Amino acid sequence: MASAATPVNENRPAWLRDNHLFQAWLVLMLAIIFGTCLAAVHINLSDRIAENKLNESLERIPGLIWNEGQGGTSVDIVSGKIVVKKEDRTLYYPVFKVTDEGKLAGWVVKAAGQGYSGSIELLLGLNPAGDIISGLFILEQTETPGLGNKITFPDWLDQFPGQGTKAPLMVVKGGQTPPGAIDAITGATISSKSVVGIVNRAVSETRGLLTPEHIQFVERSQ
Amino acid sequence: MANLPTPLERFVQGILPENPVYRQFLGLCPTLAVTNGLKPALTMALAVGFVLLCANVIISLIRSLLKPHLRIVIFTLTIATFVTIVDRVLAAYMYQMSKTLGPYIPLIIVNCIIICRCEVCASRQSVTAAAADAVGQSIGFGLALVSIAVVREILGTGMLAGYQVLPDAWPDWVIMVLPPGAFLTFGLLMALVNWIDAIRTEKNTGRG
Amino acid sequence: MDYLFDIMLISITAALINNFVLYYFVGICPFIGVSRQVGMAVGMGSAVTFVMTVAVFLSWTITTLILVPGAPLSSWVAGFFMPAQKAATMDLTILTYIVYIFSIASSVQFVEMYVRRFYPSLYKTFGVFLPLITTNCAILFACLTVMSNIVGVESPEQAWDLGRALALGIFGGVGFTIAIVIMAGIREELDLCDVPRAFKGTAITLIVGGILAMAFMGFTGVDSGIRTAVMGTP
Repeated sequence: MASAATPVNENRPAWLRDNHLFQAWLVLMLAIIFGTCLAAVHINLSDRIAENKLNESLERIPGLIWNEGQGGTSVDIVSGKIVVKKEDRTLYYPVFKVTDEGKLAGWVVKAAGQGYSGSIELLLGLNPAGDIISGLFILEQTETPGLGNKITFPDWLDQFPGQGTKAPLMVVKGGQTPPGAIDAITGATISSKSVVGIVNRAVSETRGLLTPEHIQFVERSQ
Repeated sequence: MANLPTPLERFVQGILPENPVYRQFLGLCPTLAVTNGLKPALTMALAVGFVLLCANVIISLIRSLLKPHLRIVIFTLTIATFVTIVDRVLAAYMYQMSKTLGPYIPLIIVNCIIICRCEVCASRQSVTAAAADAVGQSIGFGLALVSIAVVREILGTGMLAGYQVLPDAWPDWVIMVLPPGAFLTFGLLMALVNWIDAIRTEKNTGRG
Repeated sequence: MDYLFDIMLISITAALINNFVLYYFVGICPFIGVSRQVGMAVGMGSAVTFVMTVAVFLSWTITTLILVPGAPLSSWVAGFFMPAQKAATMDLTILTYIVYIFSIASSVQFVEMYVRRFYPSLYKTFGVFLPLITTNCAILFACLTVMSNIVGVESPEQAWDLGRALALGIFGGVGFTIAIVIMAGIREELDLCDVPRAFKGTAITLIVGGILAMAFMGFTGVDSGIRTAVMGTP
């Protein structure tokens, strides 16, 4: 292959043969072709990917506001974010405002925090006044399979709806749970405490801010 | 070029005799990382197969234009482009799966299998041979991934591809779906392959 | 204080809790291939740490300045060709993988030339491993982790700064070195043992790797423990 190509190169002037850019003409050409392909892929798929990302949360939201089967008739969800100013830093909570036939039905706050291994991301549903939890869903977690990942199971998450948010939720062990307390999962107390901690922090930091004035709403693209 | 294998030989070699995982020890990162379930393992094998096929065909088409010192740059550029395409297509049409596989899709770029096949086969042989080689190696890689994933998923969760196969009384061996299980399963399977191999060579030499 | 604490947690997580080799399975090829002698393992580990730091620095800079939507450099250049509003949302993230792999390859080249020219004794220690590192998944993985903490976050203010990225780069490399050196130590002893024939070579290395991974699982939860001890709440 190399021997076949050499005579052709010999005929070219020396300045052209020694030029690095000329030597790399194949690389440059491939780069242009591949760049065009990637641009086409990007134009065709980027909207769809962004939509997927948003839908992941949106799909869950009705279930966090209403119990099964009681969903509203014409639900509208608007997403935005709450800016929480603390003494030395600013925090952001993505938040979804859920309305049903134009009437406020509730709020869903996305919150994240440290679990036993890795971070936990969850969606917290609240009633319009923001004082009662209406639902909880774990979006992402990397807890130990078989122990910590029980935080994603409905029978544990079902303890949250109906709890008030006036006082922070407590974690208790041993099955008997008074109101305001959550039963820890056997063998995964830290994971349970992490989830309750994230919920408590999200509730206390967004307290009083769940009103349309405090939220920067994202404009819908269409 | 008479001593280079024919397309058919290339195809067969990839599946077992020159299996990329068990024989060449290539591409071990995905082999260990995504085999905690059958579905991610299959998706990974398909993604690697697609990238390998495209890269092999393109390199084989331009093989007479390649200059020795720019060869690796071109390989890398081609592979990285196709990996990006696979990554975006997965994110657009199989969002959950693309989240499960996470960084291991972009890590296909540095998967030694692909660059090794480009170097060994595609930059020397015709398009047919390169394509056959890519398909053979991908099947070999897929088989290796599936063999590990099946063991890990069944023992670790009692399920296969999400369906219950072992009785409910089975105590899930959680360790199998955690990182140590990957090393242990792969090590034991590799020992099994070595053992079968040793028995076969003994038989052959005994006969000969 | 908060910032330093954050850096410390990132470092501990990268080096021990989520060890690159034993938790994420990246850099398995050198972990099995170059772990026969402790000396070689140390050389390989330091080479990886060195290149990882340089590569993470490069990829952080490129991502923040050029690739991320609304990055200063790309929107400035795009401003010449299109209206400013459109230029500010210029999204080049589709190029990340290509840019990263080439920045890794060039930083390997650069490190090799630099070390050979100015530190010949250091070059003797790990110079031979440098070309191998380009296809080391651990480096690209570190770059990708940095990327996901810049591109994937909810708002630009949460993106990692250079300090956090470098902490991940350096301590990811340290974690790799720890794993490969422990492995080499065990394998040196293993040479004196009577290993069953079928397990000789890679198979027994993988089994040992599995036991090591189990040992490293013991670090899980250390970070949340430290957090609880320092902050008071989980």
